[in-house]
Amino acid sequence: MEKKMFRQYLLLVIPGLVIFTIGLIVPLFLSVRYSVTSWDGMSVEKPFIGLKNYIDLFHDKEFIDAWWFTIKFTIGNTIIQNVLALLFAVALDSGIRAQKIYRTALFVPCLVSALIVGFVWLKMFSNVLPAINDFLGTKFNFLLFGSSDTVLSGLLIANNWQWVGYWMLIYLAGLQSVPAELHEAARVDGANAVQRFFHVTIPMLAPAITICVVGITTGSLKVYDLLVSSTKGGPGRASTSVIYQTYTTAINGRQYGYGSAMTVTLVLALLLVAMLQVNTLRKKEVQM
Amino acid sequence: MKKKKEKEEMPTKKGSWPVQILMTFVAILYLFPLFVIVNYSFKTKKELYLESPLALPKSLNLDNYRAAFDKLNMGVTFLNTVLYTAVSVFVLAILCGVTAWAIARCKRKFFKFCYVYFIVGILIPYQALFLPIYIIGYKLNLTNTRYGIIFMYIATGISFGVFLMTSFMNTVPIELEESARIDGCSVYRTYFSIVLPLLKPAMATLIIMQAFQIWNDYLLASLYVSRNQLKTLTVSISSLFSAQSSDYTTAMAAIVISVLPIAILFMSLQKYFIKGMTVGAVKG
Repeated sequence: MEKKMFRQYLLLVIPGLVIFTIGLIVPLFLSVRYSVTSWDGMSVEKPFIGLKNYIDLFHDKEFIDAWWFTIKFTIGNTIIQNVLALLFAVALDSGIRAQKIYRTALFVPCLVSALIVGFVWLKMFSNVLPAINDFLGTKFNFLLFGSSDTVLSGLLIANNWQWVGYWMLIYLAGLQSVPAELHEAARVDGANAVQRFFHVTIPMLAPAITICVVGITTGSLKVYDLLVSSTKGGPGRASTSVIYQTYTTAINGRQYGYGSAMTVTLVLALLLVAMLQVNTLRKKEVQM
Repeated sequence: MKKKKEKEEMPTKKGSWPVQILMTFVAILYLFPLFVIVNYSFKTKKELYLESPLALPKSLNLDNYRAAFDKLNMGVTFLNTVLYTAVSVFVLAILCGVTAWAIARCKRKFFKFCYVYFIVGILIPYQALFLPIYIIGYKLNLTNTRYGIIFMYIATGISFGVFLMTSFMNTVPIELEESARIDGCSVYRTYFSIVLPLLKPAMATLIIMQAFQIWNDYLLASLYVSRNQLKTLTVSISSLFSAQSSDYTTAMAAIVISVLPIAILFMSLQKYFIKGMTVGAVKG
């Protein structure tokens, strides 16, 4: 009987396993395999060149710059998005009227494609916001995509506009599951609002924080669509991300072997970051 | 939850009005770009060049929408996007449900391994693997076919779906299933007649999440389908961006058309969706 059930359960899992393996795991190994060749993507031969691609990557200034940009973008996003999402969630949870309307207003931008978000903010910075300058007689510099010094902040604004509402929803769900008795007890013990926030709310939100931090980090490391329609990696190469650089190298430059090595570094980084974060954040969860 | 609210309102009530005003301001800031899109989409060329970007159009003329329909061949691209999204999401909903259920119910080691195996796909988003995904699609003759891109959307969406559904399975009382089993229900019938109806909120979350990701996808669609007859909305809209033309009123109309279906889906499933999100955040 149990054997029969096991077989039935197995049959339920297998289709998913097969599709997932062909679509994602096999490509993962393919990229490792191609990363030690100098394949151009067209020829039948894939000349084996050992670790040369990886050694070259370490001296490739464009690639290192792409990593720098991606890291700055990721750190900026992780901090800003988490803080804003949590603040907005706390504000909405504080018993204000028409909570649902605010929730929807903040959430809707994430239903828009990142490609479109990039284009919309390109127009915002170049046309719409300067018009507000004219209207108010102020002289803010809104041409954030125009200079390599400000392009990062421009992209951070666009990305946060898109995603804060999404993570806010997760924090909001977490907040609403904090039992009121805990706050009550803390209040009786004489804790003020700030103390209650840091010693009751934050620890109780630990699972939500884990989800948000890991989600935002991996989401930012893979940034590509946003750049295609807004900065095209520029000005210069100031906003070229790792995936953007891989795309230019492999697809446009026909260096599939070298591009595969770039892919492998990104995959390793993603795995490392995720493990590190899950481990430290989980530990915190237990302590509290 | 209601009860808790009433209790909590006491200390926060004082600070409530400043917070209300602040959040209203934030919400307006968030909605402003959306207003800009809609506003542009109704402007005529003359209004675009002569008037401030903030000025409202004199009339609701639909020329831009007509232009967007013609230029982007929307009769085809729109239907393509609907087809890819609907089929992928439908298959994902069935597949992730049964996979997660088997993983949650069968205690053998193999199923624990399966869970971890699927999670790899969340830690490594497919965008990072776009190059080998493109290469394998090329080798298996999946590029420039409808089933090819649908296959890839399923393969790349399955991780998140299994994760979401598995964390939701604990809320389904196992006793119901056991009594059904004793009554002689097969594993499959148990799932479809007992478990599936209880999964509504999770399914709604899954459908919205996957639908708006597939609908909005650019990277995979731009790599997999380059033939005009197979293109998706997002990819064809991008052609309006890259052309150095200043004709972005058409682009804005196209954006409105492309966002509307997914916004409607969200609004109609919102109630369930929020419930489904709660499970993940509370359980971790």
